[in-house]
Amino acid sequence: MPNAPFTPSPVLAFDCAGSSCSAAILVGDQVLAQRFEARRRGQAERLLPLLQECLAEAGLSWTDLGRLAVTRGPGSFTGVRVGLATARALALASGLPLFAVDGFRLYAAMTTHSLPEATRRNSALVVAIDARRADLFLQCFDAQGQPLAEPQSLLPEQAAARLPAGPLLLAGDGVEQLLPALTGRDYQVVEGSAAADSVALARLAANLPLPPAGSLPPTPLYLRPPDVSLPGKPRA
Amino acid sequence: MLILGIETSCDETAAAVVSDADVGARLRANLVFTQLEEHRLYGGVVPEIAARSHLERIDALVAEALREAGVDFADLDAIAATTGPGLIGGVMVGMMTAKAIAAVHGKPFVAVNHLEGHALTARLTHDLPFPYLLLLVSGGHCQLLAVEGVGRYRRYGGTIDDAVGEAFDKTAKLLELGYPGGPAVERRARSGDPRRIALPRPMVGRPGCDFSFSGLKTAVRHALGKLESVTPQDRADLAAAFQAAVADVLADRSARALARFQAETGQSGPLVVAGGVAANATLRARLSDVAQAQGTELIAPPMALCTDNGAMIAWAGLERFRLGAVDGLDFPARPRWPLDSLSAPTASTPAATASELAS
Repeated sequence: MPNAPFTPSPVLAFDCAGSSCSAAILVGDQVLAQRFEARRRGQAERLLPLLQECLAEAGLSWTDLGRLAVTRGPGSFTGVRVGLATARALALASGLPLFAVDGFRLYAAMTTHSLPEATRRNSALVVAIDARRADLFLQCFDAQGQPLAEPQSLLPEQAAARLPAGPLLLAGDGVEQLLPALTGRDYQVVEGSAAADSVALARLAANLPLPPAGSLPPTPLYLRPPDVSLPGKPRA
Repeated sequence: MLILGIETSCDETAAAVVSDADVGARLRANLVFTQLEEHRLYGGVVPEIAARSHLERIDALVAEALREAGVDFADLDAIAATTGPGLIGGVMVGMMTAKAIAAVHGKPFVAVNHLEGHALTARLTHDLPFPYLLLLVSGGHCQLLAVEGVGRYRRYGGTIDDAVGEAFDKTAKLLELGYPGGPAVERRARSGDPRRIALPRPMVGRPGCDFSFSGLKTAVRHALGKLESVTPQDRADLAAAFQAAVADVLADRSARALARFQAETGQSGPLVVAGGVAANATLRARLSDVAQAQGTELIAPPMALCTDNGAMIAWAGLERFRLGAVDGLDFPARPRWPLDSLSAPTASTPAATASELAS
């Protein structure tokens, strides 16, 4: 089983769901290539060239890879789709297993990786993701990294009212939007957590169990229905 | 030569495999998933719903098209996808799918203008030589163009307000005939009297080849407003009157365009009609009369190739690719992309070989 978990085979991971476009190739703990571009637009133009640059830097071709990983949102609807459409087609064309991770889980993993256990022990983690409008996407985790509730789309004040008691760790590209609502709270913003990290994504994906054969391809996490209203009776 | 074509610019998710074999053996697979039911409730295409739906299906549809064609990715010569014009969220889904396949297999990626797909369909189905006159009529487009070559279009005229398919949809909404409006109006018009209620013929008799349909839709609304209570027969008569008015407008504009085409090319035609509105039998019959009156013929691709499909994108990609066109994987999606802004592929942009692309 060449793709079994813990067998080091290169993982290509990428993200373009939020305000950046990034990619990384990892083998075990070794980062073979890494790219990060802060950009809120233009992912459809940059993504494939970025992946090819990573492969070239790692000296690998598509057939050398063992796994693909992508973020499945939430974030910008278009960014989420550009990432997933690309990932699903790469998986179809290469036969590689594809792992799609939601942004909350990714930021939680980034936090676990970057902060010592002692710092995390007494704090709940709040992951806030930029929704590109007044509200933001939010999910809270306990000190053990277990989700406390389902992710939601909330206004900052609504979000603040639902946060767990006690000290908080904050991560995600929506944190800045949440801060003004957190006056009086004891919080710490996790360093380096203001953008999705493809290296962390690759590390996560490397350790996930393979999906059963015949599984359906991963789907996006939009967290919000399309903006649309039913038409009224036609004017006549 | 085998080309995979992907189309996701509106409300049809489509994938096809097309070859450059003789007419009749070109369509190796042509699969279309229509999102009609997903949009029906809203009386029109909702862009975000369309984009989400394309993402759900396009990869499986591509796999199915290859299976049906009996080919593998490795057998393809190039991957083509619509990169505009259209609803940008959906366009990106198909475009990224094509780019990803091209990247993995080191195949050339060909960016196709959706309108060029419609414009070249008559060559896929009829091996039609250049030049010809094209009437492109769909939900989003209404224009007359001289097609002089791949990438070479001279615009004679277009709509100054609504597209003709849009006018059908809006009229169907006013008459409460359901969605999509084109087939609904055509069906109801069969039992109607086109002469009972007089509607205007916008632009008819005017110089040039432009269209206007918004006034016609307003006239339908006014006519409805004048009726005490609207009976099924009223709706049928109005549908028939509307359709007859559209037919007169299209006939007048096409006749003018044919005259200009003759003056500029020395050829009397042919007149090619493409786009979803070409499915309307009354309009086709009328356009056929116009063509015959001017000593030429009307060429209309089969219905399945008039509405949006992957085969036309694969074919336009094939025509561009065999002239040397290859596009970078950094090609942008374009919500607006007029046909007459295209240029012909030239030998100065030779097709990169698969090995060059794979590196």
